[in-house]
Amino acid sequence: MRRALSHPSFMIGVVLSAAILAVALISLVWTPYDPGQMRIIMRLKPPGADFWLGTDQFGRDVVSMLMVGTRNALMVGLVAVGLGLTAGLVLGMLAARFQGSFLDEALMRSLDFVFAFPAVLTAILILTFMGPGLANAMIAIGIFNIPVFARQARGAALQVMAQDYVRAARLAGCGTFSILRRHVLPNIAGLMIVQASTQFALAILAEAGLSYLGIGTQPPNPSWGRMLNDAQTFLSRAPLLAIFPGAAIALSVLAFNLLGDGLRDLLDPRLKER
Amino acid sequence: MAATTGRVFGKLLVRSVATFALMGAAAIPALAQNKDTVVICQTLEPPILDPSAGAAAAIREVTYANIFEGLVGLDRTSKIIPRLAESWTVSDDGLKFRFKLRKNATFHDGSPLTSADVKFSLERAVAPDSKNTQKWIFEPIAAIATPAPDEVEITLKTFSADFLDGLAWGDAVIVSEKTIAKAATEPVGTGPYKFVRWNRGDRLMLERNDTWWGGQAAIKFATFRFITDAQAQVSALLAGDCDANTNIGAQEAVPQLMSNANLKVNVGRTEGETIVAMNNAKAPLNDVRVRKALAMAIDRRLVNEGAVSGLGTPIGSHFSPNHPAYVDLTGAIPYDPAKAKALLAEAGFPNGLNLTLRLPPPAYARRGGEIVAAMLKEIGVNATIEPLEWPQWLERVFRGKDFDLTIVSHVEPMDLNIYARDNYYFGYTNPAFRAALAQTKTAKTEAERNAAFAAAQRQIAEDQVNVFLFMLPKVTVAKKGLSGMWENWPLPANPLAELKWN
Repeated sequence: MRRALSHPSFMIGVVLSAAILAVALISLVWTPYDPGQMRIIMRLKPPGADFWLGTDQFGRDVVSMLMVGTRNALMVGLVAVGLGLTAGLVLGMLAARFQGSFLDEALMRSLDFVFAFPAVLTAILILTFMGPGLANAMIAIGIFNIPVFARQARGAALQVMAQDYVRAARLAGCGTFSILRRHVLPNIAGLMIVQASTQFALAILAEAGLSYLGIGTQPPNPSWGRMLNDAQTFLSRAPLLAIFPGAAIALSVLAFNLLGDGLRDLLDPRLKER
Repeated sequence: MAATTGRVFGKLLVRSVATFALMGAAAIPALAQNKDTVVICQTLEPPILDPSAGAAAAIREVTYANIFEGLVGLDRTSKIIPRLAESWTVSDDGLKFRFKLRKNATFHDGSPLTSADVKFSLERAVAPDSKNTQKWIFEPIAAIATPAPDEVEITLKTFSADFLDGLAWGDAVIVSEKTIAKAATEPVGTGPYKFVRWNRGDRLMLERNDTWWGGQAAIKFATFRFITDAQAQVSALLAGDCDANTNIGAQEAVPQLMSNANLKVNVGRTEGETIVAMNNAKAPLNDVRVRKALAMAIDRRLVNEGAVSGLGTPIGSHFSPNHPAYVDLTGAIPYDPAKAKALLAEAGFPNGLNLTLRLPPPAYARRGGEIVAAMLKEIGVNATIEPLEWPQWLERVFRGKDFDLTIVSHVEPMDLNIYARDNYYFGYTNPAFRAALAQTKTAKTEAERNAAFAAAQRQIAEDQVNVFLFMLPKVTVAKKGLSGMWENWPLPANPLAELKWN
């Protein structure tokens, strides 16, 4: 705990992430205005007392949209990373248990195939087949997360399984499933959490990118990426309109990256002794 | 050592100076050449280049009066002018049209234009296997006679007041039997510009036809560039990559473009009735109460404001305010969400309903769609937005009729007749409307004809076939030195022969 407190960038990450989470939670019960409510005669208002960050091209309140957009971004991150983590963990551990078998090879090579494509390109490809939309975007981002987690899980699981206590457990008659659950999983969990927080930041960025391209979150649901795209045409008249969602994306990616880096430093046993 | 290095640098310096000098020399003719080329940017790319075989307006935007011509044409003021026919006479009963063709008109492949080509073109357009989307133009024709190579005589079955107007459309162009098979990708016409190359997804290149019957156009090389993204269109204009844009998608950029010293901006009119089209053939929108409820929930003035920066003209029926027979029906169904809710409950939907709103790419549709969806939500109608690309839209909505709501602009002039078509995408049939429309064709006087048009306008407004929003504006932007762009669109066309550099 003391080490955590004395790790400044980790603490910044924690505070920022907590603030972002708080905004998302608050948006469930309160936003200054209904984020979908249009007031076309009051469009493109600069920040002021009524609308703290101004209004967009349809006269919607930017603060409310950003707040609901936060919820949207976190949800995408959670679902996509959750999907990638679960599938990746299961596949990775399976591959590790049957190391060198045909199953291992088949699994890891097909995941390498997915991994070979740039992440966002994979997502665009998947969305072209499945059609645009938030749910499909989450699945697409989840899919390109699978190989990341699977590789890490396999490598880490192999290390654990080479330990004497695992051999002892196996000799004592423990089954494959029970070894993976009782010995391997707890030992690689820390590593996976670290990876998850980094991937979380990437997932938020990917969702913003896909929505910017018009194939992620669909209107009327607010999304940072789409707000950014919409604001682009009004850049000369209302430059702030693009800056706010841009800052929101940058800030949240920074927050989760700092959190992830800090966690890695704190959870890595090799760094612990220093 | 130092001396050697110095010498090498010296040589390099000399060489680079020489290179710059060469580049400078090359740059001067390039600038001068600029007067011989023009790059016109537009939003949509045509799917094919045969204007007599496709619905997409973009086909005629690039080919009309450029590659292909009809017997007659429309000028920028919507007046009928002679094109391949230098003159014509009409019999007193209005049933016989005698066209005298231009003697010096030839196709781009060198073959002369004859009355046989005219007969072939018009008969092909109305043939059962024809893909022409405006067959109504040719349907009144009973017979086409070719008494001489430069004379065509068309006899009509019944009097048709808009026959000559129809012949002026881009769908009624004269093509050659020899080359028509390849017209979709390598069009051969009679116009002032010849087809050179088409880089799909990017640009279409044309070159002046030096043997055009009308003389030589001022500019030798013309290029149409296709830029869908509204913001990219503005950037291309500001960067000077486009000499003109026929109708920009980002109307909100007008003040920014106007303040640019190199550009001139004109806000003009089109014949584009922009509507929320409803699937009249399918429940729940086959119930006029539901359609009326949706219309009451949509405030067209605000849609106009939010979708096209208020540059459009609100309409209450499918008819252009530019026409003398226009009746202002914008007040017929006033905006009233409370009444809309009540009407929806009466129709059996007290808890609202779910509909799809499939949107084509133009900014007016995507933005208008967001506003319409928000307005419908106020009365409990949940319209799920689904963005589509044009080919998908044509396939699923226009041909497949797989939609509840869509937003689209019908850019052809005087296109009220789409409401009388069998199997048209919004699925409307009403004999009373068809009777009124038929009267517009048989009417002998202007007053009688206009009265019939008024009745037809009222009928579709009363049946609330679609929600009529506004006339699409035409925001033409051009470099200051370029003149001749059409400022209004009596029909969507960009005749390049009228352009010149000052």
